[in-house]
Amino acid sequence: MASIEIENLTKRYGAMTALDNVSLKIESGEFLVLLGPSGCGKTTLLRCLAGLETPDEGEIYMDGELVFSSKLKRIVPPGKRNLGMVFQSYALWPHMTVRDNVKFGLDVLNLSESESKDRLDQVLKDLGMSDLQNRYPSELSGGQQQRVALARLLATKPPVFLMDEPLSNLDARLRMDMRVELKKFQAFTGSTTVYVTHDQTEAMTMSTRVVVMRDGQIQQVSPPSQLYKRPENTFVADFIGMPRINLIQANQSDGKNHLYSNGDIDIDIGWDEAPSSIVVGARPEDLKISKKELKGSQTYEVSSVLPNGPETIIQLTKGGTILLARIGHEIDVHEGEKVTVQFDQKALNVYDAKSGALLGPPIDTDRTN
Amino acid sequence: MELAIRRDSPLMRLILDPVNILLMILLGILFYLVLWPFLELVLHTITWGDSDRRLSRDAVPGEYTWFHWLEVTASPLSERMLYAPLVNTLITGVISTVIALVVGGGLAWCVIRSDMPGKGWLQPVLTLPYIVPSFAIALAWETVFRSPKVGGQPGLYETVLGIPPPEWVSYGTFPISITLAMHYFPFAYLLVAGALMTIDSQMEEGALLSGASRMMILRRITFPVVAPAFAAAFVLTFGKTIGQFALPFLLGAPTQFHTIATMVYANLALGLDSMAYVLAILLILMSLLAIWASNKFVGNNARRFETISGKGFRSRQVALGGWRWPIFWGVATFGFVVGVLPLILLGYQSLMLIDGFFNLSNLTMHFWTGQSDPEIAMGEPGVLHNANILGAAWNTIELAFFSAVIASLVGLIIAYIVVRKDSNPLARMLDQIAFIPFLFPSIAFGAMYLTMFAEARGPIPALYGTFTLLVLISVVNRLPYSVKTGVTAVTQIGRELEEAAEVAGASWGRRFRKIIVPLASSGVVTGMMVSFVGVMRELSLIILLITPSTRVLMTVGFNYAEEGLTQLSNALVLIVAMITIAGELILWWAGKSKLVRLREKNS
Ligand SMILES: Nc1ncnc2c1ncn2[C@@H]1O[C@H](COP(=O)(O)OP(=O)(O)O)[C@@H](O)[C@H]1O
Ligand SMILES: [Mg+2]
Repeated sequence: MASIEIENLTKRYGAMTALDNVSLKIESGEFLVLLGPSGCGKTTLLRCLAGLETPDEGEIYMDGELVFSSKLKRIVPPGKRNLGMVFQSYALWPHMTVRDNVKFGLDVLNLSESESKDRLDQVLKDLGMSDLQNRYPSELSGGQQQRVALARLLATKPPVFLMDEPLSNLDARLRMDMRVELKKFQAFTGSTTVYVTHDQTEAMTMSTRVVVMRDGQIQQVSPPSQLYKRPENTFVADFIGMPRINLIQANQSDGKNHLYSNGDIDIDIGWDEAPSSIVVGARPEDLKISKKELKGSQTYEVSSVLPNGPETIIQLTKGGTILLARIGHEIDVHEGEKVTVQFDQKALNVYDAKSGALLGPPIDTDRTN
Repeated sequence: MELAIRRDSPLMRLILDPVNILLMILLGILFYLVLWPFLELVLHTITWGDSDRRLSRDAVPGEYTWFHWLEVTASPLSERMLYAPLVNTLITGVISTVIALVVGGGLAWCVIRSDMPGKGWLQPVLTLPYIVPSFAIALAWETVFRSPKVGGQPGLYETVLGIPPPEWVSYGTFPISITLAMHYFPFAYLLVAGALMTIDSQMEEGALLSGASRMMILRRITFPVVAPAFAAAFVLTFGKTIGQFALPFLLGAPTQFHTIATMVYANLALGLDSMAYVLAILLILMSLLAIWASNKFVGNNARRFETISGKGFRSRQVALGGWRWPIFWGVATFGFVVGVLPLILLGYQSLMLIDGFFNLSNLTMHFWTGQSDPEIAMGEPGVLHNANILGAAWNTIELAFFSAVIASLVGLIIAYIVVRKDSNPLARMLDQIAFIPFLFPSIAFGAMYLTMFAEARGPIPALYGTFTLLVLISVVNRLPYSVKTGVTAVTQIGRELEEAAEVAGASWGRRFRKIIVPLASSGVVTGMMVSFVGVMRELSLIILLITPSTRVLMTVGFNYAEEGLTQLSNALVLIVAMITIAGELILWWAGKSKLVRLREKNS
């Protein structure tokens, strides 16, 4: 198995910087997901790892060995890096049968005839493709094509898997099934996996750690739960979570360091030292909705109710401020109704309004005003 | 009980649907203009004609006979009339096609798949030889390699080197193959480039990752994947080369070197019409055979060649490294030699008072601006004063204009029917018939119309010698292209756009005029320009149908060349070349600005 280390990697296309000084350490056996909006450089990073793109600056180590260095002019070619890749388009060879597609990588390895055949049969069987092995890619459904791409990857048993949005060409239901299956194979082989996606559910459900990228830069590297609970800046906070987080920009109220307001809502962050302008992040489920007056609660009007199976998303209005809240079935609200809202202080995140960086959670002082 | 069929019964609605009515009318017209002429041609060859009495005493005009076929295929004349030209046609066709494919394919790879610099302006330069009339290249070749042994003045080669070029360089297989290849490599280039653009370079990268060598990837992935495109390009290019008339005529006839196409012309000139038609039919059969073979090859392997596409397609350029600039200079030099140099040679030659003397004191503007002088060129005035030529120029523009407009509109209507009624077998038939002219080698197509419209038939008057006939054949010849352009345009117009108007109560005619035409217009106008330029440089198609009153620039140029008035012919061909180049430049520029606009919209 293999660890990967990326140091200060920069890749430019003309004037456009696709990767901007990216550094990242990937542990052996990890399932690392690169997540970010389209065009943020995920594919570029993956292709740099594969050796399909040559970065302009930086170093890459695989299993301790230097495979790329801009300073030393060292470039280990893709075929020598011991990795397998699944492309977003699958890139199956249309003129070869399923079996030949999978066999190609084994041919290059110069295995003995019998070993090659055994491995081929095994991987086709594992993926349930034995019956389809003599078909051509164009005669397969999308899901089956996906499996061929996977079989091609697994056959050569590379210690590193690179996958670029492998499920984006499948429909929603199949995508769900394949997620489970992919994870199973990764766990089984123990290969270090770098997985690119722009789908946060995919990132959250499959990864051991998620790397959030934006404009060629890494925004945050965290396990999925941490990513959701403690986004390190407002971009990540806003990007992760459906429905999106409530970001409330507020200014210090006169004379009281810990009290902030945006004109409609008052928030107490409990700190004595803080910038004059902040953004408070509150997930929809961090809003406690009640029909009674509670301590520190404020009154809102329910402006819209959107039931969605086990939960209901409601839109709350107070003055010019609109917030989203997620509620269960224990409370029944209607449009136009007045409700009270209490923030779950521990779950909130406070950001510096200027830089967008996380300052930390508010301190839950039981200050009574 | 009401027995009359109601207007809104399903059957009546089907019949009264204006699109269906149009479909039937178009089917009828195309049948008459595409299939029938072929039957006429065949019929003509198996019937005794009036003029056959001087060939055979058995001739009974109107009766059926195999005489013409036997004369062509199995008589003492056959060797000269059929077999030698057939061999010549095949050899020059295959050699030129192979060269065109290798060169065109290599260039396509450089432009599409490598990081060669200067692509932006190299691409138009590389397509120049295909834009200019094919026999411009033949004339340029003659200017350099003409040999007094066969008559005429020495060419540039002899003037500079002092020794005449070997005859095989001046006339016959070699120059014909090379000049055909020069004219058609851009065609192969465009076809292969189109195929290369749809190939996902990740297919090669996948192989690269598994450790395969570059050679192995080329052999096992790249070549097999582009093979069908190459096969198609081969057949289409070959089909075009064998229908070429003017070029092999100029570089072959002086030494009695004939291809089937030049033999058709020669036989017609001798009054051996039916023999010429037999040869034309054989030419068509050759073309059909090639298409059939390639379809069989691709068809048997169709499932293997369907590339699958989805999100994540990537066409990546191979870094040429140290070869970048050498390759650029190689391609640029090549582009200059085949695209620009021939035009310079033509221009220079047209300025020579006495052909073959390349010194500066021999230069004159006479052939461009001079008045008639009985001492020079049989008294023909310069091309810019020549009433004949001005008339021909006017004819050319009229012909190109009418043909382009009619072909585009008819193409759009057919495309509309084909796209919107795709489940109707008759619509599919219409599509197929509209494609057939593509399979007719140009000169054979001309021969078909010659038999079809030589005499009045029922309500149709004898169109031979009229301008209408030229427009007719040019339109039908352009249909395969204009239908294709139309299909692309109509497919992009969602059915909903039209349905929205239908719901609002608009009739079909109104929908077509107010929705389809405006939305398809940019594509169709582009197609119109392409047709305009295409008709303008066409010679092989109409050479058999031209009469003195309907002459166009290309045929006048050809006649001058035949008479040895090379300066005049070069000047004329140069004019046509300049017009076609200007047309292409406009297209190129329009296409570029469109791309820019699209990009702006997307960002
Ligand atoms: N070959 C290339 N040439 C020029 N720009 C490129 C190329 N490949 C990627 N880019 C640019 O680099 C940026 C990052 O692209 P990519 O890594 O594909 O994004 P992602 O996979 O996150 O959607 C994009 O803005 C893209 O336009
Ligand atoms: Mg991507």
